[in-house]
Amino acid sequence: MDRYSFSLTTFSPNGKLLQIEHALAAVGNGSTSVGIKAANGVVIATEKKAGSSLIDVSSLEHMARICDSIGMVYSGMGPDFRVLVNSARKMAQSYIQTYNEDPPVRILVKELASIMQEFTQSGGVRPFGVSLLLAGVDERGPNLYQVDPSGSYFPWKATAIGKNMVNSKTFLEKRFNGAMELEDAVHTAILTLKEGIEGQMTETSIDIGVISTVSAAQQDGTKPEFKRLTAAEIKDYLSNIV
Amino acid sequence: MDLAMQARPMEAPIEAHNHNRWSPYVDNGGTTLAIAGADYVLVASDTRQSDGYLINSRYSPKAFVLSNNAVLGTSGCSADSKRLYEVLEQRAQLYQHRHDRQISTPALAQLLSNTMYSRRMLPYYVFPVLAGIDAKGAGAAYSYDAVGNMQRVTGVCFGSASALIQPFLDNQVRFKNQRDADPNRLLTREEAFKIAVDAFTSATERDIYTGDYLEIFIVDAAGAHKEMRELKHD
Repeated sequence: MDRYSFSLTTFSPNGKLLQIEHALAAVGNGSTSVGIKAANGVVIATEKKAGSSLIDVSSLEHMARICDSIGMVYSGMGPDFRVLVNSARKMAQSYIQTYNEDPPVRILVKELASIMQEFTQSGGVRPFGVSLLLAGVDERGPNLYQVDPSGSYFPWKATAIGKNMVNSKTFLEKRFNGAMELEDAVHTAILTLKEGIEGQMTETSIDIGVISTVSAAQQDGTKPEFKRLTAAEIKDYLSNIV
Repeated sequence: MDLAMQARPMEAPIEAHNHNRWSPYVDNGGTTLAIAGADYVLVASDTRQSDGYLINSRYSPKAFVLSNNAVLGTSGCSADSKRLYEVLEQRAQLYQHRHDRQISTPALAQLLSNTMYSRRMLPYYVFPVLAGIDAKGAGAAYSYDAVGNMQRVTGVCFGSASALIQPFLDNQVRFKNQRDADPNRLLTREEAFKIAVDAFTSATERDIYTGDYLEIFIVDAAGAHKEMRELKHD
C-alpha cells in the first residue's frame, strides 16, 4: 500500500512537528494525573472523569499494572492508552522470559518511548494522544517517569500532566520535599488533584496506585508490588482531608 | 493354477536409509564439572579435544570466563561451545551497556536457556554449566541439556566421563546414599578442589577422551580465579 508508505508527521518550516503539538493538545484536554516519588515509594493518581452521571465510575480503571513492580497512568485518549498498556505488558513479560527478573523502570520506559517515537516517523500512522506516568521500583529505588507522544521521557520527583498540569505543578513545587514518606505523598497527591477537580471528590472519582520500596518488613525476600488502592482505602485517605 | 502365486504373509515395507549422510555434529570429547558452595562456585574441565581416536589438541580450553565473572563450562561439540560462549558474552555486554551494570547470574542463566531453546530445531551440541555468584552472595551452578532445560545444582558433571564422575559427585558433594550425612552441607573450597582434582585424575585413567591438562576456575565475590594441573597425556 504505497499510499501510506510515507510519514504523516512532517516538519514545518520553523522546525516543529505539528502532529506532535496537536497530540500534546489532546493530552492537555485529558483529565489531570499526578505522580510523586517519595523516599520509600511512588504514588500516581488520576481523576476519573465521567462524561455523564449515568456512567458507572467505579468500574473505570485508569490505573494499569504493567508488571509486579511497575504501574502506569495517563492523560489524554483512553483508547491509545489501552494499546500502550498492552505493549508495555508484553514488553515486560518478554523481559521476564529472557532474564527471569522484572525490568528496571528506565529500561521499560526506553522501550515504550521508542515505540511512541516510531509512530512519529512511520508511514500512515499518527502519534499516540497520551502522556504516560510510569511508577515503579527497581534496584535504583523508587522511579517516576513521564513519556510524551513524541517519545521524549523525563524522570521526575513529582509532576502532573493533563488539564490542570500548570497549577498542579506549582502546587507540587511548594509541597514536595525529598524526605517525604509514601503516606505523605499519597496525601499530597490527593490534595493536588483536589485543587483542579470540579465538584466533589469521592473515592470513586479518583484512581490511585502505589508501590513501596523494599522495607525492613519485606527483607524476607518478598518483592514490592504495584497496587491500585481500593475504594475503601481511598475513602480512608479522603476522610483525613479537611 | 500357479501354486507359486499363493498368498504370502504381509512383510513390512523396506525403507531406504542413507547411512552415508553427513552430520553437522561432532563430539570432541572431554569432561566438565561444577560444584557450588556457600560463597564460591568451582568449575573444572580438561583441555583435550579429540575426534574419535585422533587428538586435535592437548590444550583447548572448554571453560570460559564471562565479563560478569561468571564461568561457562562446556562439553560436546567444541565449535558449538565456542560459538555459544561468544553469543552469550555479546548478550552480556549488550545488557551491561543498556542497564549500566553487569548482568546478574540468574538473569544470565535464563538468557542461556532461551538462547539454546531458540535453536530447538538445530541445537547447539553443548551440555553447558553456568557458574556464578547469586544475588545473596551464594555460589550458584546451573546445568542445561542441549536445548536449554535448566536446573540449579550443587554438583554436576557433563561430557565423556560424566558416567564415571557424576555418581562420585552425588555421593561426595550431595551426600546421597549416605545414611548419616547431612545432605544440606556445602563443601569448603579446599574440599571441592580436592574432589575436582581426584575426579579428573581417576577419570583420565579410564576415559580415553579425558586427559592432558585440567583447568579449575573458582568464582567468588572477588571474581574468577584459574588454576591448572597436569593430567596424564596417554
